[in-house]
Amino acid sequence: MDEDERARLAEFVGSRTPALMRVAYLLTGDRNAAEDLFQSALARTIPKWGTIRHADPEGYLRVVMYREQISWWRRLRRWRETPLNPADEPVGGDPSGGTDVRLAMRAALRHLPPTQRAVVVLRYYEDLPEARVAELLGCSVGTVRSRTHRAVKRLRDLLPDVDRLEVRR
Amino acid sequence: MTEPFEHLIRSTLTDLAEEAPIVHDQLSRAERRVRNRRRATVTVGAVSTLAAILIATPLALAATGSDEPPPAVPSPAGPAAVPSPPVPTPSTPTTVPTVVPSPGGAPGDPSITPGPPGVPGQPTVKPSPSTPPGPPGVPGRPTVTPTPSTPPAPGGVPGRPTVVPSPAR
Repeated sequence: MDEDERARLAEFVGSRTPALMRVAYLLTGDRNAAEDLFQSALARTIPKWGTIRHADPEGYLRVVMYREQISWWRRLRRWRETPLNPADEPVGGDPSGGTDVRLAMRAALRHLPPTQRAVVVLRYYEDLPEARVAELLGCSVGTVRSRTHRAVKRLRDLLPDVDRLEVRR
Repeated sequence: MTEPFEHLIRSTLTDLAEEAPIVHDQLSRAERRVRNRRRATVTVGAVSTLAAILIATPLALAATGSDEPPPAVPSPAGPAAVPSPPVPTPSTPTTVPTVVPSPGGAPGDPSITPGPPGVPGQPTVKPSPSTPPGPPGVPGRPTVTPTPSTPPAPGGVPGRPTVVPSPAR
């Protein structure tokens, strides 16, 4: 890689790192894991930079991050237990207007498996259609639908008092 | 109820994304990771090649150094045709040495030495009729006819053959 291409790569990484780190953090739910995921995806992108820099390097990097997160090998290598911090404890009634609900939802999101969590992030944070999600994850549309359904059902199960909380909102 | 729940998921993800860590100098770390991965790949390849050589070399030497021929591998096409031993075919017809009577005299037999001068040579070959003589009036058939091949001794009187061959026909 010559100096010109490396300068372009450094410019790309410097400009897109915050947005990509947000996605990585949503996918992993952990700061250190998010940084590791982003570095791993970037390490896989650098050797391909000469061929993808004219196309869509950010899209390539995002796809690498999505697939790396749900990779079976990565899960086998990095099995980590998400520690419970005080914000993850069950919350009771909060008159501050929805904060308790969001904290409970945050805790529930951290308990989703990587595949369901990736689908939730792509569908509800990136606002991508099901076909696009299926294309990015390398699976079928039916798989995306089933994973989305299971993820929402699990979130509902992890938030047993969501009805009461929503009524109080 | 699905719509408010999905809205809750979206708002929670948006809030969570704002808490993503701010990282710097990700490019140099990613490049270092690329170098380490490449070095590990080369090392693993070299070790694998060395292990393959160490395992295969003794096996190859054992296979080539044994005195016994290796067992025949059955061919999937079936047993090969056993070559039939060559039938000895006479390339040249067997010649039966026949002695044709030549009353005129044939060239001398080198194995017969001429007699001393002045002494009539005696024929060394004596006709021995193997077949009994035929009925009276029918001459027998001699198998060997003498050939007065011995040249007359110079100055001597030619010897008189003692047995006159009877004509075969």
